[in-house]
Amino acid sequence: MVLTCPVVMGRTIRRDRTSEFSRRAVLGAGALLALGGAAGPLTGCGLLDRDDTPKPDPLDPLRDEALRLAAGLRATAAAHPDLAGRLTPLAESHEAHAAELARVTGATSPSGTAAPPATAGTPPTDQAAALTALRQAERTGRDAASTACAAAPADRVALLGSIAAARASHLEALK
Amino acid sequence: MRTAPTKTGEALAAALTAEYAAIWAYGPIGVRLAEAERKSAVAAEAAHRGRRDALMVQLSAGGGTVPPDRAGYTLPFPVTDRASALRLAVQVEERTAAFWRAVLPTTTGAERDQALAALVEYAVRATRWRRSAGITPLTVAFPGRPG
Repeated sequence: MVLTCPVVMGRTIRRDRTSEFSRRAVLGAGALLALGGAAGPLTGCGLLDRDDTPKPDPLDPLRDEALRLAAGLRATAAAHPDLAGRLTPLAESHEAHAAELARVTGATSPSGTAAPPATAGTPPTDQAAALTALRQAERTGRDAASTACAAAPADRVALLGSIAAARASHLEALK
Repeated sequence: MRTAPTKTGEALAAALTAEYAAIWAYGPIGVRLAEAERKSAVAAEAAHRGRRDALMVQLSAGGGTVPPDRAGYTLPFPVTDRASALRLAVQVEERTAAFWRAVLPTTTGAERDQALAALVEYAVRATRWRRSAGITPLTVAFPGRPG
């Protein structure tokens, strides 16, 4: 495999030289090359091609949704300051989910990609209606995370399970 | 026929030991609570019993080892009043949730759905117990995640 991807291998090494040339980096490159081998010789190089356009990941919509949920909670907290103590921790959880999803999908930063702006619209002026809208959004979010969890590979499923559980518990906390 | 323990079997067996401990813990919890909270504790205990029974059937059917229950468990702190009972109830739900989260990566399909349902249910119940106990925030960012 190494011989079929000399350029890519060279790139990997050059990138690592900036920090410490670590054993882990070499092992990581080896693992990726092995994976390329399993996928077939023609796709092996494509796997490692460092093309600058980020490839969509199946979890991107979930990350966008986490940012939208956070924005919705923050907008409602701003419009109804007496709810802020309840809503802010929930917004922070969604932001932590977005950061973790960005990490596992290899996205650069929440704002640095093609993610849609996380605007939430204007929350209802009636407090009860505002909470109802937030609950509806959490319910939809919980279901989306559950669906993603059911379909995810083993290395992502625990994170998605926690996100589904967090969104379900938000629904409870907003009652 | 007895088969070698699989990763799924091991994770489910670990979840079963957590369910045993949860059921046991709801004994001392229940006696310190009254009225609606006691009813919630009874309902929670019933949910853990339901999962215990299903796991025992599942593990036996799969030919795996069914770990035995213990005669007693050590509580993480003394349960002497309503406040400590509620605090323990929160912990019981958080900890059993963690065991079901650990089942997720070893499963697919219906077994994964079963594990997710338990994780979600216990996270929600932990939130309800936090509300009863006056613990804020009511939620954690990553239910079931160790650390």
